[in-house]
Amino acid sequence: MKYMLMMTSTTDGFEGYRAWPQNDVQTHYAYLKGINEALTESGEFVDTHGLAWPTEAKVVRAGKSGAPITDGVFPESKEFLAGYWIVEVASPERAYEIAARISAGPGPDGEPLNMPIEVRQVMS
Amino acid sequence: MKHILMMSGTKADFEWYKNWSKEDLLAQIAFMQSFNKELKDAGVLVAAEGLDFPSQAKVVHAGADGRPVTDGVFPESKEFLAGFWIIDVDTPEQAYKIAARASTAPGPKDRGNMPIEVRAVMSGPPPEFL
Repeated sequence: MKYMLMMTSTTDGFEGYRAWPQNDVQTHYAYLKGINEALTESGEFVDTHGLAWPTEAKVVRAGKSGAPITDGVFPESKEFLAGYWIVEVASPERAYEIAARISAGPGPDGEPLNMPIEVRQVMS
Repeated sequence: MKHILMMSGTKADFEWYKNWSKEDLLAQIAFMQSFNKELKDAGVLVAAEGLDFPSQAKVVHAGADGRPVTDGVFPESKEFLAGFWIIDVDTPEQAYKIAARASTAPGPKDRGNMPIEVRAVMSGPPPEFL
């Protein structure tokens, strides 16, 4: 079963993250890298990607001619995808376990963030 | 440059989708299949995935002991990811053009073309973070 684990945040959340001391950011990245390595070793790793900042996000629609109409204005409450993992696991519980590990990643001063991670099955 | 093209909707949008006629659904599936094939043939398709319905979504955080605490309650306004494409193109404009094509996927005619969120995908953390 493939599951997608999603990290999301509002623009405010991204701004907060931008203000982290470099040391804390490095610790956080090292923690996530360790998770990626462990998932690769267990054979559960499928894919992970981090996305560009929400300030780079555009919403695109086709106009009448089919040409793209782009807009970069979003409601303040909008939750932007920051990054995701796709894992191949034996049960949803295992996906939740991995999500909890990601959730516990260190934040400022090394304290666990315990941030929310959305988990949903990916359809084949 | 890798870009992600995201389709998302609220629970109400997903409920609307569930009520499409079979004919509309089949037309949409046919569009998506030929769109994906076209992207693949053009050598720009990196990945395409569709997600389960939002009723199956859980939000997980680590409890004090590190164990998962799961919850399935979300605000009504929450936009759920329905599916995405990752494409590898030379410019953002090409990504927008492809997103505009995805935007024209057929459906019941009462809503017009659907919005597609487009953002660059990073290949790794910014160098200053390493």
